[in-house]
Amino acid sequence: MRTVLLASLRTHTRRYGAALLAIVVGVVFIVVTAALSSSVRNGLSAGIGEPYAGADAVVDDPSPEDAARLIDAAAKSGADAWMIGWTTQQVARDGKVLDSSADVGQVPDRPERRWQKLVDGRFPSGPGEAVVDVNAAKVGEIGVGDHLRVGTGTGALDVTVTGLVDSPSTYSVASVYLLWSDLARWTDRLYVTSLAWSGSGDLAAARGAIDDVVPDADTVAVDAYVQKLQKDVNNGVDVIAIVVLLFAAIALLVAVLVINNTFAILFAQRARDFALLRCVGATRRQVVRSVRLESLALGVLAAVTGVLGGLGLGHGLVALVRHQWPSARLGPAEVAPVWLIAAAAVGLGVTLVAAWLPTRRVVRVSPLAALRPDDSTRVSTRTGRVRVVVGLAVVALGLAALAAAVAASSPPVLVVGGAGTFVGVLLLGPVLVPGLIRTAGRLAHRALGPVGRLAAGNAVRNPRRTAATAASLLIGVTLTTAVLTGMASSRTALSAEMDEQYPVDLAVTGTATLPPDVVTRLGAIDGVDGAVSVPGAPAEIAGLGKVPVVAEPSGAATGVRPVLHGDLPSVGSRQVVVPWDLLGDGVEPGDRVVVTVGDRSARLRVVGGEGWGEAALVSTSTLHRLAPGAATQAVWLRAADGADPQDLAGSVEAIGSPVGAGLQNGLARRSYVDVQLDVVTGGVVGLLGIAVVIALVGIANTLGLSVLERGREHALLRALGLTRRQVRRMLAAEAVLLAVVATLVGTTLGVLFAWAGVRALVEPAVDGAHVVLPWGQLALVVATSALAGLLAAVVPSRRAAKVTPAAGLALE
Amino acid sequence: MTDLAASTRGLTKSYGHGDTLVHALRGVDLDLPAGRFTAIMGPSGSGKSTLMHCLAGLDQPTSGSVTVAGRELAGLDDDALTRFRRDHLGFVFQAFNLLPMLTAAQNIWLPTELAGRDRREPALAARFEQVVDTLGISSRLTHRPAEMSGGQQQRVAIARALVTAPAIVFADEPTGNLDSTTSAEVLAFLRRSVRELGQTVVMVTHETEAARYADDVIVLTDGQIASRVAA
Ligand SMILES: Nc1ncnc2c1ncn2[C@@H]1O[C@H](COP(=O)(O)OP(=O)(O)O)[C@@H](O)[C@H]1O
Ligand SMILES: [Mg+2]
Repeated sequence: MRTVLLASLRTHTRRYGAALLAIVVGVVFIVVTAALSSSVRNGLSAGIGEPYAGADAVVDDPSPEDAARLIDAAAKSGADAWMIGWTTQQVARDGKVLDSSADVGQVPDRPERRWQKLVDGRFPSGPGEAVVDVNAAKVGEIGVGDHLRVGTGTGALDVTVTGLVDSPSTYSVASVYLLWSDLARWTDRLYVTSLAWSGSGDLAAARGAIDDVVPDADTVAVDAYVQKLQKDVNNGVDVIAIVVLLFAAIALLVAVLVINNTFAILFAQRARDFALLRCVGATRRQVVRSVRLESLALGVLAAVTGVLGGLGLGHGLVALVRHQWPSARLGPAEVAPVWLIAAAAVGLGVTLVAAWLPTRRVVRVSPLAALRPDDSTRVSTRTGRVRVVVGLAVVALGLAALAAAVAASSPPVLVVGGAGTFVGVLLLGPVLVPGLIRTAGRLAHRALGPVGRLAAGNAVRNPRRTAATAASLLIGVTLTTAVLTGMASSRTALSAEMDEQYPVDLAVTGTATLPPDVVTRLGAIDGVDGAVSVPGAPAEIAGLGKVPVVAEPSGAATGVRPVLHGDLPSVGSRQVVVPWDLLGDGVEPGDRVVVTVGDRSARLRVVGGEGWGEAALVSTSTLHRLAPGAATQAVWLRAADGADPQDLAGSVEAIGSPVGAGLQNGLARRSYVDVQLDVVTGGVVGLLGIAVVIALVGIANTLGLSVLERGREHALLRALGLTRRQVRRMLAAEAVLLAVVATLVGTTLGVLFAWAGVRALVEPAVDGAHVVLPWGQLALVVATSALAGLLAAVVPSRRAAKVTPAAGLALE
Repeated sequence: MTDLAASTRGLTKSYGHGDTLVHALRGVDLDLPAGRFTAIMGPSGSGKSTLMHCLAGLDQPTSGSVTVAGRELAGLDDDALTRFRRDHLGFVFQAFNLLPMLTAAQNIWLPTELAGRDRREPALAARFEQVVDTLGISSRLTHRPAEMSGGQQQRVAIARALVTAPAIVFADEPTGNLDSTTSAEVLAFLRRSVRELGQTVVMVTHETEAARYADDVIVLTDGQIASRVAA
């Protein structure tokens, strides 16, 4: 049997090519995931403890006020404290916005505590000086000596860049670092991860000193804190790696289908060989053993190729990213041997599992089969009724579960329903898919004539094979379209919420009354769709200091070019709506405060709100009472669709800064959320894309193997008058029919699942959420798969068209 | 006068090169009269199929000329040859004559469809009826090949070859897979198509029994014409 095994490996290896590719891609996926996650882990872990060097203790997650108090207390007591944290501020140079949301952190006062590594220039020696992260400097083309404006409006700070620094750790990196004396002005907008305390060098003493200032502070030893950070990093990376591996599992599941199909087809084609072997005296066991060894050899080859390919690709990718984008801060890739072994084992296991059933079928070949005329192209028997009945029942149960999940908003029931429906559809595949292809085939017949009908006929002649091929594509497409639809629905829900939260794209608010021409100048900016002058006056609110008051201009939400996305809070004539970030210290919602404009004043009840800039909102009548001659205090702008928030902010600042107006950029936050959604959608679709690619390899594979089977038929067709091009077109049409039908079924399922998911999970949670079909994206999915079907047909159809009629017929 | 359906001059065909060189045909000069049933006979490997393939434009000769239905085949490219076959020739092979996924009727209409002709053309429709009746397969038209016996399949194949009224029908061992009774039936049908429909048929066979149905018998040995017998 050795000679038989080796000979068949030699002859058939080429036919295993596509199956091999399917497993290799799956294994590569795993190894690359391991390489990338190790690189991210190393990048995140590098230098993680350095900001705390020299500290006696670390205060974990203090409130910004506590952090400020501790830093001040340390300075007074001769100890030293510095915080690791940020405030997000706009950074501009010469009125041009470099970054609308830059992280601004602290550079410690004492030189020996400065954990940032100086790359160029010098550290700040006093207020009004800053150092900038080298990577941020590269992006914004910032150099030593540049003058930057950090923040907007009254709180803006002008600084000179004295140096460029690099952060040893991703966990503490900021774009701009200021001395505490400058940074403290944004205390109420700080996010502090931790505070390092350095005193006598003793943990207990430090704890005591800290407790004196902030009694309930969470003070821990430096080592313990760094270990905790390291653990957070590991957990975070592990979670991401597991999510990515989930996609690898999906890709491998698709690979199983592809290989299983390959084995089934190849063994069917070789049934006569097996029968002949049995005729000449091979035992059943010997035949099966040789076939199993064949799949084992294939599995080993795939596993080894996959591991090596994965290592190459993983290290290559990491090296490329580290070289091209140092700011991504990836560490070196180190794939642990256990990963390699696991990936290889998975590849091998997947192959053996996929080969198991087809090899069992080989056992059933009777020696007599060799003596019967070749029946490899015989139209296979009808699918069992049992299968159809079971399939229908499972689909019905699945749909019922989906309906129940929608009614009860229950995620587990949703998963059960989705899985049930999907499995049922897979069971029905051998009936459903050929049925749909036959229907679609009528269109193909109309479009391509007899070639179209031949293609449709070919596509359905082996329902099981067709269904298996379609199933592999179905998985990826169903998940992709479900994600796209789910994301589109969430996006609309979110965007409704964003309309409420950021009703104004860009709010330009003056500290003093704005010159009357500002509104026309702002409105003329490229990318601004509408501008409205907002009446108001500089005011003084008791307990809050100078805060301008404004009233909603009439028609801002409804005008010909409405400036507002959503409604502003309705303000009663005895109310004042104060931005949330001004509230908290002393003045709380519900308090009554005196608002004074010039020599007039009113007692108003405080309500919290935000979204229109740094001003308090009052009703028109109240404003009229306080400032009868109210002039332009602010200008609200509506950005054109697709306008770049950064560019727009720059142009607006150029006009606003000289007249002392601050900018609130709602557009930037809104587009930040949009970008996040895009990234998540893109990432998920990209990862699913690998499963889809494997499925397309499967289509090419099925088609290629079928072409080998149909050599005679193609020769006959050529003899009867089919041109080469028509042969190619016939096979392309077959692949496209298969791909498009599988995609349409997948899209239907995906949309159904997304509908159920949105109804069950999103609608109860978010007001006004509803299912939105991203028609464009769905059409793109179908078009892409049709195109991919064409692509999958290229190699097989070329091979098929090459057969000359005489050669094909001579295969006797 | 007798029209020539096809003729060859100095037709040679070799396969392979060097050690594996095989001369399948060595200078064949042949005239095939129209309206007759010609059998090409000879032992296995004598070049019968090769000759038929060259005659039918299924294969390119190494040298020499082939004229079929007044058309010189040399110089036609693959597409032109394909169209020529589709429009002027019919084929019956030993096995795998029919496409398994099409019904008998669809198989019969296939060349017509490929040629883009409308099967409702009165002449075509009448021919279809006539051929199907003559071959006795009208009750099998909706069956697929898998549901038919070997003899029935061959009759469908003959119907397909005849329905377009081609200049020549080529049959390569059409009875090779059939028992003697069925063979006799199929051969009788081929002869009737010559007698009753005025068809030209060229049949390759190695069975002397089969050759007895033919009007002319050409014997091939070792790639050359050994004898020519008119019945
Ligand atoms: N495609 C081919 N490649 C190589 N040799 C071939 C090929 N086709 C036929 N031959 C050789 O040409 C000779 C004639 O073959 P063929 O015409 O099939 O004979 P017949 O049909 O009379 O049995 C044989 O020796 C055969 O081996
Ligand atoms: Mg032959």
